[in-house]
Amino acid sequence: MYRKQVRRRRAVLALLIVGSFALLTITYQQGNDGMQRGVSTIFSPLVSVADRALKPARDMVNWFDETFDAKGRNEQLHSELEVARKQAVGAKAALAENEQLRKLLGLDNSGAIPGGYTPVTGRVISRSPTVWFSDVTIDVGSGDGVGVDDPVVNGDGLVGTVAAVTGGTARVTLIVDHSSAVTAKLVPSGTQGLLKPSVGDPEDLVLDFLASEKLVGKGQSVVTSGFRAIGYESGYPPNLPIGEVVEAPLVEQEAQQQVHIKPYADLRNLDLVQVLTGGSRG
Amino acid sequence: MILTPNILARLVAIVVGGVILQLTFFSQVSIFHVSPDLLPALIVVLGLLGGSLTGAVCGFSAGFLLDCLLIVPLGGGSLVLLATGYLAGLFRERFEIHSVLVPPLLCMGLTLFAELGFGAVELMLGIDAPVSTLVIRDMLVKSVFAFFAGWAIYIGVRRALRPALVEEPALRRNRRPTVLGT
Repeated sequence: MYRKQVRRRRAVLALLIVGSFALLTITYQQGNDGMQRGVSTIFSPLVSVADRALKPARDMVNWFDETFDAKGRNEQLHSELEVARKQAVGAKAALAENEQLRKLLGLDNSGAIPGGYTPVTGRVISRSPTVWFSDVTIDVGSGDGVGVDDPVVNGDGLVGTVAAVTGGTARVTLIVDHSSAVTAKLVPSGTQGLLKPSVGDPEDLVLDFLASEKLVGKGQSVVTSGFRAIGYESGYPPNLPIGEVVEAPLVEQEAQQQVHIKPYADLRNLDLVQVLTGGSRG
Repeated sequence: MILTPNILARLVAIVVGGVILQLTFFSQVSIFHVSPDLLPALIVVLGLLGGSLTGAVCGFSAGFLLDCLLIVPLGGGSLVLLATGYLAGLFRERFEIHSVLVPPLLCMGLTLFAELGFGAVELMLGIDAPVSTLVIRDMLVKSVFAFFAGWAIYIGVRRALRPALVEEPALRRNRRPTVLGT
């Protein structure tokens, strides 16, 4: 009797292990299958309800964490504020000049979202628990016009790109995911590069292949450049804000041609995002 | 564990509820810049209470559901959580739990094992980016969270599955009985 139980247990265990490897092999090669979409469709309303119900509790926990964090950053922000005030005066003048130039060129006044794109607003309903997958699930999908490779932004800047869609949900791969690569440029210098993440550190992106003799300084802004690099398929429209240079050691710039970028968007605490549907993927 | 339809329904509710709570709450909060991952701890507790087979099946199911809801390649989460649940169940079958610290310590150790497992699966599938040393800090802090949450999860799940548990005989008291009238 005992031996029979042991045999049955071993058989079930072997079946589960083989099943796991089979699933891994099949879905890694072929992508999402119908079964996965079906399960996702069944459970996504439940996830959506749970997400809304738990939002106050989540906000409370995050508030405590952010309060502790904010105390430490208070002094640093005061000194940065002084510098920013001085820059703001110059920026206002530049904005006025920019406005006039835009009118002259007949460009869209807002400029935030490139022409041809239709923004679809969605809410983040779930997030990967492991540090290896930096992606979130949002409550809009192909039924709302969302498609694979659509860029995703929030109020602060670029968030990521749509990697997979179902009827009512979409998986957004964040720009800090190991599979992400964004062609970007520094403003105002225009120096081009490829922005890649440092896995495990959501506040550190590396702008690589800086094809320029110019040295890069801290505080410079980084925006999408809009061109496609060889081997990287996702195309972002140009001039979406991404982040700013926080670390640019001379040695690293000269030896490895790279600088470190902190994204503008708080990728740990995403709530509402906009998917830029339509537009050109070329 | 005595599996009846009622207990099976409770197990399904615990696993589904655990996955949804993980995705919608724990993964979206940040404590010391780390999001707690309590799903391995839940599977460890199920393994400890139900044995290796229950642990393995619950781990596989939780991993499968997790991968489906995250729309990521299936199998990775199932494989890691299946191993986690099986090891917890094996521990229960080989050793007796004498101390109240055993469940949280096991939750901590096996959460670290699960996080390393997720990392190993990802590395096997190929990561085309530099890996920060903060990954190690993330794993260690998640294990510490599992230690603190482990005992609460153990008590809660034990209460939910109480009718199915085979109670072990109480340990004989060491204190000598008081003899009156001498």
